[in-house]
Amino acid sequence: MESRSKRWTKSLIIVWTGVIVLFFFVPIAGVIISSFGKSRYFRFPVRSWSTKWYDQTLNANLTENLHITSFYVAGCVALIAVVLGFFGALAFARYDWKGRIFYQRLIMLPIFFPQAVLGLALLLWFTYVGVLPSWEAAVFAHLVWIIPIVTLVISIQVYGFDVSQEEAAFDLGANRLQVFREVTLPALAPGLFSGALFAFLLSWGNFPLSTYTSGADSTVTEWLYTKMSSGYTPMIPTIGALSVYGSIAILFIGYLLLIARRRRNEKRA
Amino acid sequence: MTTTSGVSRPPELRQPNVLRHFGQWLRNPGFISASPTLIFFLIGFVGPLIIVLGFSFVPERTFGFHGDWTVENYVHIISESYWISFAWSFGLAAATVVCCLLIAYPVSYGLARIFGRWAAPVMLVLVIPLFVSENVRLFGWYLVLLKGGGILAGSTKFLFGLDTGTLLYSPGTILMGMVYVYLPYTLFPTTLGLSLVPRDQMDAASDLGANRWQIFREVELPIAMPGILIGSLLTFVLAIGAISEAKLLGGANIVVIAHSILHEFTYAQNWPLGSAISMFAIVITGILVILVMRRLDLDRLLGRK
Amino acid sequence: MAEGTPILRIEHVTKQFGKLAAVNDVSLDIVDGEFFTIVGPSGSGKTTLLRMLAGLDKPTTGDVLLRGNRVNDVPANKRPTCMVFQSLALFNHRTVGQNIEFSLKMRGVSRSERRERCKELMKVVRLPEDYYAKGVTKCSGGERQRVALARALASDPDIMFFDEPLSAIDYQLRKHLEVELKDLHRETGKTFIYITHSLEEAMVMSDRIGIMQAGNLIQIGTPDEIYTQPLNKFVSEFMGEVNTLPVVIGADGKFDCAELSAQFIGPAQSNRATSGYLVIRPESMRFLNEPSQADNHVSGSLFNEYAMGSRVQYHVRAGNQMLVVEKLREQAFQGNLNDDVLIGWDVKDSVLVND
Repeated sequence: MESRSKRWTKSLIIVWTGVIVLFFFVPIAGVIISSFGKSRYFRFPVRSWSTKWYDQTLNANLTENLHITSFYVAGCVALIAVVLGFFGALAFARYDWKGRIFYQRLIMLPIFFPQAVLGLALLLWFTYVGVLPSWEAAVFAHLVWIIPIVTLVISIQVYGFDVSQEEAAFDLGANRLQVFREVTLPALAPGLFSGALFAFLLSWGNFPLSTYTSGADSTVTEWLYTKMSSGYTPMIPTIGALSVYGSIAILFIGYLLLIARRRRNEKRA
Repeated sequence: MTTTSGVSRPPELRQPNVLRHFGQWLRNPGFISASPTLIFFLIGFVGPLIIVLGFSFVPERTFGFHGDWTVENYVHIISESYWISFAWSFGLAAATVVCCLLIAYPVSYGLARIFGRWAAPVMLVLVIPLFVSENVRLFGWYLVLLKGGGILAGSTKFLFGLDTGTLLYSPGTILMGMVYVYLPYTLFPTTLGLSLVPRDQMDAASDLGANRWQIFREVELPIAMPGILIGSLLTFVLAIGAISEAKLLGGANIVVIAHSILHEFTYAQNWPLGSAISMFAIVITGILVILVMRRLDLDRLLGRK
Repeated sequence: MAEGTPILRIEHVTKQFGKLAAVNDVSLDIVDGEFFTIVGPSGSGKTTLLRMLAGLDKPTTGDVLLRGNRVNDVPANKRPTCMVFQSLALFNHRTVGQNIEFSLKMRGVSRSERRERCKELMKVVRLPEDYYAKGVTKCSGGERQRVALARALASDPDIMFFDEPLSAIDYQLRKHLEVELKDLHRETGKTFIYITHSLEEAMVMSDRIGIMQAGNLIQIGTPDEIYTQPLNKFVSEFMGEVNTLPVVIGADGKFDCAELSAQFIGPAQSNRATSGYLVIRPESMRFLNEPSQADNHVSGSLFNEYAMGSRVQYHVRAGNQMLVVEKLREQAFQGNLNDDVLIGWDVKDSVLVND
């Protein structure tokens, strides 16, 4: 009776999760299917398949430019966010200092903030201080939102770090720099890595902040939005699909690297 | 290490100098590590907000500060029909939060309790869409729901010979799009919250005679609450700022607040009015954020201490 | 322990946290090569004291002298001392070998020399040789203890500090490691300063014991001295289950115990105390057939009995006190619960302590 109703609940939850996973992937599948259609406008069921839009898209200068801009932005964001987020996480979770609780709440505010409003506020601010919209400005805008997230991600690793390891290293004769290089940094490395991965992917997919701040340097997502709301071209599904492949590839490579690291550690057993 | 000391020595020479104490505080490692992010926070967040606040008080269609201040922008918001946009945005955001919670809770429960070693791969699969630009995903929905040749309409026609109309351009579809985009933001914090509920406490409650509903209300919900709150807040705030969903799936029928703001800043070239509308959104979400934040213990939630 | 030159001298050391004196005016000499244990309940300031000795904290006032040199301002990484931490603080991202070699690497010792020394140390702490490349997270609790020990020994420190490293270990393994640690102390001849909250653990290993209470070092002595002459009620109760009877000493020299409404003969008093606690160990209590069989006697009823392996313990209710009697299993008392019993002890087995 009890176990039977429990089994029912369990199956229901599994089915429900399956439905949600499907729900998540239906539109992504839609984009990928349509990118292989031959006709200029998408019709389903697709009658003839072709990769001609891929050929065309991959040969276009535009594609290259869009991706290079997106890549520059995401790369810079990841790098800067990890460095600042690392120190932020130490203040967040490692040191016991007066003002820490206040700092924790303060630093989170940009996450809990409508991004469109944030983008616009940054645009006004840039205008006011005389910074022209460009991909560098977009990096700054992304950082405002992404640094708090990276700080949180790294903090989770810092919480699990036994501080007495640093003291032990110090007691064993290491100086401050050696303690940092030999103990703190390697112990927190997985957190820094996932922080960088998060930063890169969130920046790569961001639209509301880029649209206000990047000016003439269009990123992939901005271009898609502009073309979708006005002036359809058959390259939309293709570029969309390419960006899906890119995200999944980066996520997958990151996941594999993490697993490889864990394997290497396990090999020492 | 603390102790209840017996005889303590007479206190050291007291430093009445407040500045000296402040100086010492500035030099502690916590503050030093916090300072890069704090400086960035000031330049990248506080500064822009002050500018928006300032702009909301200058006369219409000016692009700088020239010394004359006015509240007419705020009067405009109320006298003109912007409140409709507000109503749409807040209504849609609230509905999104409710739908996301109802949809996410069973999945979170499964991730935290049932899937076991399958939880990590399932989580990974659910994370992937989060890293695909929301515009691409919404475009996908557009393709699915497209009139005549969309995947949904095409399938029903192909399989059953039925001609269905399109679901695009209705409030329900916008809501569906928003739920779709923001579900992960509810899902993951809720899972985090639920995984904080110790299994033995639930077993103990059950052993003490509580039924499933009582366990949920008395044990599970209160302990998981911080995670649920964070998820709901994040979803609500992001949904207030939503712009693509209404534009791509709703066409021109429904103008949400983010779109009004964008409109004032681009086509209408009325920055002060746009700033005033933004301030409205900022204040309302700000109050919500502060109310929720005050109840959270981040150390416990993230560090599991 | 023979008196030698003090390797470590602590002079009036106080550590103030705000208004709270975590360590309050402690003075102590540690003899070269001894195993000294500081015992106290949690919050007594023992860890704070140890951290100051190791150089991880600075005293608010007072001095720490190492072989006669003041080392207050010498940080931990420049002191010839090493600490084994409560959490062990092993570097989880490193192998056993890398952990043990850490201090040598910091000193710029060559790779081959490090490895040789590491193998030596692993032999000393009885770690199998093939553990060299094993990750420390894969080691068992006891093995991790040995890695931490070898790591602290690697730089050949003059003094080894131990911050309750055995507290999280299960009973049987702890007993085993206590013995190993004492053997290691004998083999290396180094000075060991150990802190623990278990007087029992301290008794097994130490040459001398210091007892801390609320920031004060209240008694120092050999295990035997502490056992037979506890300074006060706190120390005597810290040693485990003892009978403590509150007494008032009358003008006639008799000890009045109001709680049992009885008079006892107590040990001779040199300091003419007027009140205190009479301490009698459970194993000194006996069951009597008649009052004359012991110097003092109390009647009560047998409340319960507890088998404890080689011994049996009895709780006897007398007045509103519960008295504890312990016997060897072979000499177990033959009686039923709730029986009226007579118990007693001799004067030589009792100690008078103050509060």
